[in-house]
Amino acid sequence: MITAAELKAAEASQPIHAEPTSFWRKYVFSIDHKMIGRQFLWAGLIFLLLGGTLAMMIRWQWAFPGRKVPLLGDLFLHRTGGVIGPAEYQQLFTAHGLIMVFFAVTPVLIGAFGNFLIPLQIGARDMAFPKLNMYSFWAFALSQVLVLASFFVTLGTGGAGWTTYPPLSTSIGTPGSGQSLMVLAIFVTGVGSTMGAVNYVTTIIRLRAPGMTYLRLPLTMWGIWLTAILNALFVPVLGSAGLLLLFDRDFGTQFFIAGAAGVRGGGDPIVFQHLFWIFGHPEVYILILPAWGIVGDVLSFFARKPHHWYKGSVGAMVAVTVLSALVYGHHMFQTGMSPLLGEGFMFFTLIISVPSMIIVMNQVFTLWQGSIRFVTPMLFALGTVIVFGVGGLTGLFLGDISMDLYLHDTMFVVGHFHFTMAAGSVLGAMTGIYFWFPKMFGKQLDERLGKIHFWFTSLGLTAVFGGQLLVGWAGQQRRLYDPYQYTFIQGLHGLNTWTSMFAFTLFAGQMVFIYNFFKTIFFTAPTNVQNPWGIPTLEWTDAASPPAYHNFDRIPGVLRGPHHLSDPRVEERLERDFLGQAEPGPEGATSAVEPA
Amino acid sequence: MTRGAAQGMVSPAALRPAGASRREATAFIGMVVFLASWTMLFASLFFAYGLVRTHATAWPPADQPRLPRLLPGLNTLVAVGASLALERAGRTWRDVASHATAGWLALATVLGAAFLALQASVWRSLWGEGLRLDGGPYPSAFYALTGLHAAHVLVGLVALGALTWRAWRPAGEALERTPLRLWTMYWHFVGAVWLILYVAVYLA
Repeated sequence: MITAAELKAAEASQPIHAEPTSFWRKYVFSIDHKMIGRQFLWAGLIFLLLGGTLAMMIRWQWAFPGRKVPLLGDLFLHRTGGVIGPAEYQQLFTAHGLIMVFFAVTPVLIGAFGNFLIPLQIGARDMAFPKLNMYSFWAFALSQVLVLASFFVTLGTGGAGWTTYPPLSTSIGTPGSGQSLMVLAIFVTGVGSTMGAVNYVTTIIRLRAPGMTYLRLPLTMWGIWLTAILNALFVPVLGSAGLLLLFDRDFGTQFFIAGAAGVRGGGDPIVFQHLFWIFGHPEVYILILPAWGIVGDVLSFFARKPHHWYKGSVGAMVAVTVLSALVYGHHMFQTGMSPLLGEGFMFFTLIISVPSMIIVMNQVFTLWQGSIRFVTPMLFALGTVIVFGVGGLTGLFLGDISMDLYLHDTMFVVGHFHFTMAAGSVLGAMTGIYFWFPKMFGKQLDERLGKIHFWFTSLGLTAVFGGQLLVGWAGQQRRLYDPYQYTFIQGLHGLNTWTSMFAFTLFAGQMVFIYNFFKTIFFTAPTNVQNPWGIPTLEWTDAASPPAYHNFDRIPGVLRGPHHLSDPRVEERLERDFLGQAEPGPEGATSAVEPA
Repeated sequence: MTRGAAQGMVSPAALRPAGASRREATAFIGMVVFLASWTMLFASLFFAYGLVRTHATAWPPADQPRLPRLLPGLNTLVAVGASLALERAGRTWRDVASHATAGWLALATVLGAAFLALQASVWRSLWGEGLRLDGGPYPSAFYALTGLHAAHVLVGLVALGALTWRAWRPAGEALERTPLRLWTMYWHFVGAVWLILYVAVYLA
């Protein structure tokens, strides 16, 4: 039980500060986690649109190779007369991948939700290090500027693929400062991510409100906390790879340069692959763990039931986090790795499906016999479960060495990681945006437009990435400028064209979201309903919409877990079906069964 | 921190008294996480170094200068000396920084500067002997590892200089214990990286 002394101590260590009044301190160089969260949301969504536009141009090339790109061609490709040339094509898929992974999905899922939600959901007044938080955002903003700058230099932006493998990514394979700027941008965003991660990890360890034990944290917090741990440990590995690559490109060192260009034997390009994937595999989970957390909570909230086997899901998420650090070699089966080592990596890779299945099955059991409300965030959460299921199952094929030999570097790989990292995390992010929008802005997104957006997005993503899986299974290699120069791929032209049509439809469907988002933010009067969905976690029960600068007038004392829903005793006495985490319940309800 | 992490279920509020010491513990944990990140950065650099080196046919190549051992060895002692001076500075800090604190901090700063100067002289003499950045993986690894390490020393040196100034200045914002403790941790970390670097790059 929480004593008054504990609450007093929590208050003493987090005094209420006055809200800054100047424009710069309030909206630009803000140290308020809620403002920083919104800044990350805007920055990420703008780049999501940019990355999506680039994807449309790639799809255009695969449907109509060599034909002038409508609209965008005149805008961006005037040098080639509106046609995508081979060099531009390389840059398109490189920039698309890097922008989506590092500058769109990461800032929305981790930057926006992490910053906005951590203090609100654990019952704190701000992050542990508010200034560090501001530096983290501005490092990120600087990296976005570097990305944009790389488009305007001679020879254009980087073209070595999102993995930036040498020797292609060295100054011999990809000359020009565009590639260097891209690598520098990744390094700078990595610095920002690390600062954010330190803040997240420390805040959740130290600033949980009295009574908010680890096993009372919402699943969202678990997802973000584990992600932050992975970020803190593995983003620096990418940083080291980026630094060495920059040294190679711009200072003449030879870590990754080999062959004829290498002096005295030269270095080894495979070293880069090791460093990249030591980071890169945890990165996959960095992108999906927050989405798992958000979806786990939202499914429970709108099934109006406690999450099924909460502790099991938490344990499974921890297990996935640990295992994710042990499997990176499955990206390198084709590099001449020792077969014994390869089998070890295969084993751990396939083992990950056990905790992943626990998480997915718990999500499904949460729905079982629930009284499901099909609101927009719930639809997106359900969509996330399905697309992640497909993505996870296709991963089994790639994790198996003998199948990977066939499928390696085909569109099947592209389809697989788009189902997990793109569909899974984007639908997860949309779940969060629709769900927390009322808390962030004090008004609700239009439900009807939201549902239209959902159907366009979930069906669109599934069709597009499903098309990728199919052509990959048929043998189409990824990253081909004009796949139909190979006779055996010519038969896939129709399928590719259909897939592109679905992609254009998907993109058009996003306009509904953009319209809804802008209309609601700028032209809808705030309602400021504190808890429109009837949710038991702290940000809904104890903070206003949008929350005050100091979040909580009094730091809440937490009494129970995050999913106290449909307890008959609460329903009988309070005539509602949820009980807040910090709410003194009616007689008997406080001792209700913890969701476990 | 260790208590909170070990017990897991216990709310952190129950473990610490209110106010400053609580914030200091928070800062301490933040620094530990930061250092874990830095550890991974240097661990992966050493990992890359190990891979490149094992794949090389000759290390060092016959026509390239060998690395000196004596001067960097001496520098190891300088780095240890700076860390010890910082420890002493921490111990002289009572409720407020004294002139003894400032003295030890100044000594640590001077030793840190000496470390960089010695390292610079090692670079100069090797550069003079013809070891250039574009001379293959051997000089690449040497200059990149020592250079990145020296960059971290430089950051620490600026911080130690600032701490010395704040400890010395009688008026104004007094030097608190938290920054002193955190920068001491950082400095020890950079020293530990140097020890590994000395063994792995200069001696091995």
